[in-house]
Amino acid sequence: MARAGATSSRRSDPGENHERSLADSRPGGNATTEPAGAATAPSLPPDEEPRRSGSPRRRRHLGLRARVTTTFALGALVLSGALASITYISVRSSIIDQQESSLTHEALGTAEALSGALRHPVANYATLLNDYATARNSESLLVRGPQSYPSSPLALNLSRLPKALRAMVRAGHLADQVVDESGSPVLIVGVPIKSARSEYFQLFTLGDISRTLHVLFASLLVAALVTTLGGAILGRWAASRALRPLHETAEAALSIAEGRLDTRLESDRYADLSVLTSAFNSMADELQTRIEREVRFTSDVNHELRSPLTTLATSLSVVQARRDELPERARQALDLLGAEVGRFRRLVDDLLEISRLDAGLGDWHTDEVALGALVRHTVAASPPPVFIDIQDAAEQRRVLVDKRRFERIVANLLENAERYAGGATRVTVETDDRWGRIAVEDRGPGIPPDERNRVFDRFSRGTSGRRRGTGEGTGLGLAIVAEHARQLGGHVYVEPNGACGSRFVIELPLLPAEEE
Amino acid sequence: MSSRILLVEDDERIRTSMRLSLEDEGYDVEETESGEEALEAHARALIAQPFDLLVVDIMLPGMDGFDCCRELRRVSTVPIIMVTARTDTHDVVAGLEAGADDYVTKPFEPKELAARIRALLRRARATDGGPVSLVFGDLEIMPEAGVVRRDNEEVHLTRTEFLLLCELAANSGKVLSREQLLERVWSYDYFGDGRLVDVHVRRLRTKIERDASEPRHVLTVRGLGYKLAP
Repeated sequence: MARAGATSSRRSDPGENHERSLADSRPGGNATTEPAGAATAPSLPPDEEPRRSGSPRRRRHLGLRARVTTTFALGALVLSGALASITYISVRSSIIDQQESSLTHEALGTAEALSGALRHPVANYATLLNDYATARNSESLLVRGPQSYPSSPLALNLSRLPKALRAMVRAGHLADQVVDESGSPVLIVGVPIKSARSEYFQLFTLGDISRTLHVLFASLLVAALVTTLGGAILGRWAASRALRPLHETAEAALSIAEGRLDTRLESDRYADLSVLTSAFNSMADELQTRIEREVRFTSDVNHELRSPLTTLATSLSVVQARRDELPERARQALDLLGAEVGRFRRLVDDLLEISRLDAGLGDWHTDEVALGALVRHTVAASPPPVFIDIQDAAEQRRVLVDKRRFERIVANLLENAERYAGGATRVTVETDDRWGRIAVEDRGPGIPPDERNRVFDRFSRGTSGRRRGTGEGTGLGLAIVAEHARQLGGHVYVEPNGACGSRFVIELPLLPAEEE
Repeated sequence: MSSRILLVEDDERIRTSMRLSLEDEGYDVEETESGEEALEAHARALIAQPFDLLVVDIMLPGMDGFDCCRELRRVSTVPIIMVTARTDTHDVVAGLEAGADDYVTKPFEPKELAARIRALLRRARATDGGPVSLVFGDLEIMPEAGVVRRDNEEVHLTRTEFLLLCELAANSGKVLSREQLLERVWSYDYFGDGRLVDVHVRRLRTKIERDASEPRHVLTVRGLGYKLAP
């Protein structure tokens, strides 16, 4: 019976292999990939694409990957399950058939031998039966007329015989039946011994077969699970592979967004995606052309505006040097002219600066500088003097900035305080581990909460208390501050300064503290 | 006697207004409208009364301001201020590399230009006092005579380069930050353009170092500034 077990498990091997090879061939075999693709692809654009903008990018990939992986795994599970079941059922019935015929044969042999022995008087039937029925794990029963003789007191008796079997044998036919006795299958073979007007029944325990079948079942289950796992791995790999061009496209788009306008996709890398690739590349071409045209335009406008402004400012200075020689009315007109030329100049400067910031063109020269000295110099460069309060720990912390850019930020904030809040009252500098905070405080009317974000918008001069002042402002100052701060890796916000006034805070990333 | 300035600018209105303004500052101003004319005027003036300083616009028809600077530098160490309409790193650095000592950006305040001119002219004269000769290995610097020799051969430096070298030599072994150099050589405040220092150091190296890519005299101290070593 041990052999039978070995045989049966060997028989199950081809089934397993067959199944594995099926799973392996799946990426090529479109039969299984098609439904997976069809199931996932259409649902992707509507519910996933529009919402994704920043960080959840990775999750989208996981989503699609997980779905493809699950589909592959399920496919593998269903197929391997089906194959395993078929294998199990056919192997089981064939083993049982085989056993049935060989055991029937054995019972026939025993019955034949018994029929010879029964011609003589029998002293002890049990001994006789035990002498003849020598097979292991079997019990026998001889029915002779109304009497029945089991091979042992506890062995097979009439009540355990299925009625149909008994009837068949009584009618003179050879019969057998597999009976489930308390969970384990037994085979009962009935042989009529006509010469002795007896019926011989032999019961064989099929315990070995059932063990064999258990082993087979377990191996098939393991094989199915391995195949499912293989399918999942394959699905994951296939999904990653399928998503790679998408990933590359996303990287390229990000690279363009970061200003590397000459980023392109390799056009002949993925034949299936040539439409996407060429569309992407032509979009990038178009974008590059447009941005370059815009930059050229800005630069031209820049030049065209700067030349007359230079003449205006220079000529004005010549006249201003003779201001005292002019009559009163001309002096008034000259002062107006001077103020407006100044404002015009600032407006042009601000407009050009913000358009350059937008175009990502910086003429910036970053240096590592100590925060304390930077703020002191910067505030000193924009009169009138303001009280500066620098935290001790902040004094020597270093930031990576363009000093003139930083000066623009602070000058704009001080100017803003001057214009709308009667001047800055204090400039403070604080740091924590990673951020330096430079705050410009005033005691003006303050800014209502709903306007606090809008003050950084372009040409926003607020509605309520924030008047247009003396007409000196360009309306771009705070927008430039916000943009500069952003490009320096920090940001700017405004909060109330205690009970009255505002506090404009610039947060800049600090360089790691120097070790002493 | 008032300093003589040559103004090179193609836009007639700007040129005239600049002349008026500079004359108000007390300078003797001559105008030209192209690079070629500027070179001629400069050569002519060498015989009688050389210019003390040139103000050169970058955008010129024909020979542009960069070429004009380069040509002038072949024959002269006269201080040059470049006028640019753009503050692109490219323009500023290219102008400085072509040999300009300083730059202003249009539209400049006339006061700003006047201040730059004053600083450059003051520097041009301020080479007296101090030791007669300083020796750094194969380099010999004579601040008073305005002469630098390497292996006993004279090296021709512009005044700005010379001053930069003298400043580093006077603080030999000490590190001078960009800000310190900007203040002492160019009379800029804290917000001066550090590129002025970087480009001039680069040009200085090509003249006094045996191998400018592996400098032995003018050394960069990362994050701090520059120092002169023997």
